Amino acid sequence: MRRYERPVFSLLYRMVRDRALAEDLAQETFIKVLNGIKSYRPEFKFSSWIFKVANNAAIDHLRRRSIDTMSLDGAPDAMTPNARAASALQLSDHGETPLQEVEARELGGAIDRAIGRLRPEYRACILLRHVEGYAYEEIAQMLDLPLGTVKTYIHRARNELRGYLEDRRV
Amino acid sequence: MSDTDLQHLTPDEVELWAQGLLPAARALHLSQCPACLATAERERKLFVELAQLQRFSPEFGFVERVMAKVRIPTPSGGFKQ
Ligand SMILES: [Zn+2]
Repeated sequence: MRRYERPVFSLLYRMVRDRALAEDLAQETFIKVLNGIKSYRPEFKFSSWIFKVANNAAIDHLRRRSIDTMSLDGAPDAMTPNARAASALQLSDHGETPLQEVEARELGGAIDRAIGRLRPEYRACILLRHVEGYAYEEIAQMLDLPLGTVKTYIHRARNELRGYLEDRRV
Repeated sequence: MSDTDLQHLTPDEVELWAQGLLPAARALHLSQCPACLATAERERKLFVELAQLQRFSPEFGFVERVMAKVRIPTPSGGFKQ
């Protein structure tokens, strides 16, 4: 389990961009995997199975949150512009909590900010492919998506990322 | 020059090239097509940045917190906490 602790936590953290929440989801993932160890299907690589459970936890959470407040791609919620400005002001009045400061430091780099702007489905695919190094077929299996969809998501995500990063550089 | 020499690289081929796995025939196109070469180099830069992303650790004691909530069956048929 120690072997998967950091990769799984890192994936979840980059998916939800909230340390405490990522830790809750990582706990949920490992508890589910360890309690369900008897139902483990050996045709799955063990690591693929863990990432599948972790990704489901993250996507479920993001979907629930999008219903509650905002759309998955970070579009503004139902608040009026004034209410949004007020809540932003309140935040800056109170400053950041120590945890938010850690998050800003850890995920504040250009590439992480660009990843944060991707749709969650793209984010999961790009992290599994280019950070964790899984093959397209394995990602398709983990995410229960057709292979063609995974390829499309990854190619679009790469285009978007390059766009965000190059915008910043000009 | 064959037809494949003239075709631009697909995203999959760019990925193969970045991994050093692009077949020689397609690498030839890359050496003759400035557009594909520029795209491929931008992609490779992105792959390197992604591969170098930092891994994070959860708060200290994570494994213990998980194990406290898990019941693992033992070979004798019982459970150990
Ligand atoms: Zn070309």
